[in-house]
Amino acid sequence: MSALARRIAIILAVAVIGVLAGRFVILPRLLPHPFSGAVITTEEKVPPTELLAGGGGTLRLTDFEGKVLVVYFGYTFCPDVCPAILSKLADALDILGDKADDVQVVMISVDPDRDTPEILGEYVTHFHPDFLAATSDVATVNRIATIFGVYYELQEGTESTGYIIDHTATVMLIDKKGNLKVVLPFEGTAEQMAADIAYFVG
Amino acid sequence: MFRSAIPIAAIFLFTLWFITFQPIQVLPRIRLAPGFLLTDQTGASLSSEDVRGDIVLYSFAYSECGPECDDMINTLREVQNAVDGIDVGDDAEIRFVTISFDPATDSPEVLETYAAEVGADPDLWTFATADEVHVSNVVKAGFNAWYEQKEDGSFAFDPAFVLVDGWGVIRGEYFYRTNASDTEKLRHHLEILGEEIRNSHGAASLAYEAAHLFLCYP
Repeated sequence: MSALARRIAIILAVAVIGVLAGRFVILPRLLPHPFSGAVITTEEKVPPTELLAGGGGTLRLTDFEGKVLVVYFGYTFCPDVCPAILSKLADALDILGDKADDVQVVMISVDPDRDTPEILGEYVTHFHPDFLAATSDVATVNRIATIFGVYYELQEGTESTGYIIDHTATVMLIDKKGNLKVVLPFEGTAEQMAADIAYFVG
Repeated sequence: MFRSAIPIAAIFLFTLWFITFQPIQVLPRIRLAPGFLLTDQTGASLSSEDVRGDIVLYSFAYSECGPECDDMINTLREVQNAVDGIDVGDDAEIRFVTISFDPATDSPEVLETYAAEVGADPDLWTFATADEVHVSNVVKAGFNAWYEQKEDGSFAFDPAFVLVDGWGVIRGEYFYRTNASDTEKLRHHLEILGEEIRNSHGAASLAYEAAHLFLCYP
């Protein structure tokens, strides 16, 4: 092969690589997925704290690496917000279809005094058979909630409800490597949640 | 093939230019700020939900800090006095929250006096604390700011500022002994954040997302 032909071959090869890189690497990066929540850029691992699992036993949020983990802080006596969020998450899993196999939803109770593991296990599976729940002692729940940016405060309720708990109602998406990546607002729809979860399922 | 490659080559060159010259800069989305429930200098509750939607510059101190806090307080006061000139759009405000890690001493009354002494504008700058355990969770585990009580009751600590956006995401951490240039740096970072917030809707937001993707940080 002459020097000229070799040079042309190199230029063509570079051009082909450039076109392919542009199409499959750069273009997708230039059109970012429009997340419906706040994105965390850095890699921030979830804490490996051992929690009491709903239904019995223990679990750690780090147990679910390899799956997209969806974490929500709520409580079973919650009159409106928690059922609404859990219903939306159940709808999101339905939308995801087979991809839902790679997703695990966990509700962490901020009401450990009333939410025993038995009550919790029954409560979350009412929304979706694959949902899990967890809680711990007050100090551990407080520490975990704080780290996840969740505030909660006991408020006076009625005689029938008992005390109620004001709490942050965001939904946290954790990628398959165990990094907290997106915080979804309460107002998000099931479709938006499904789209954002699907992004991490891949 | 060459004709179809032209737009992609143009995008490639544009991307290269974007990354090299950074016409848009953003602050990194570091991690979630902690959730908290504090009591402020008026005795009212202050939770992380109360400041959702606002840009908050957090700092950590205690009222008996004395000259050790002078640099930090001066910086905060200077930034406070500069916020009028920083446009963060109509939906957000810039606020300052100083969390005391000495709840045993820093009652609301003490914090109110301290706030007045340091020239804090009560509409912008809140002083607050909580019980020892919660303060430790929030300041140490949540904000990664270090402090420790010494035997004489005073505190060893590293002056720190943490900048949090309206989503409750930490966008700036400044862990070092403060000095005069902090004011300019914080003001500049608040302007960058304000610009991103003002452009967070519509097509312009895509350019800011691209700046995040390509790590166009100051």
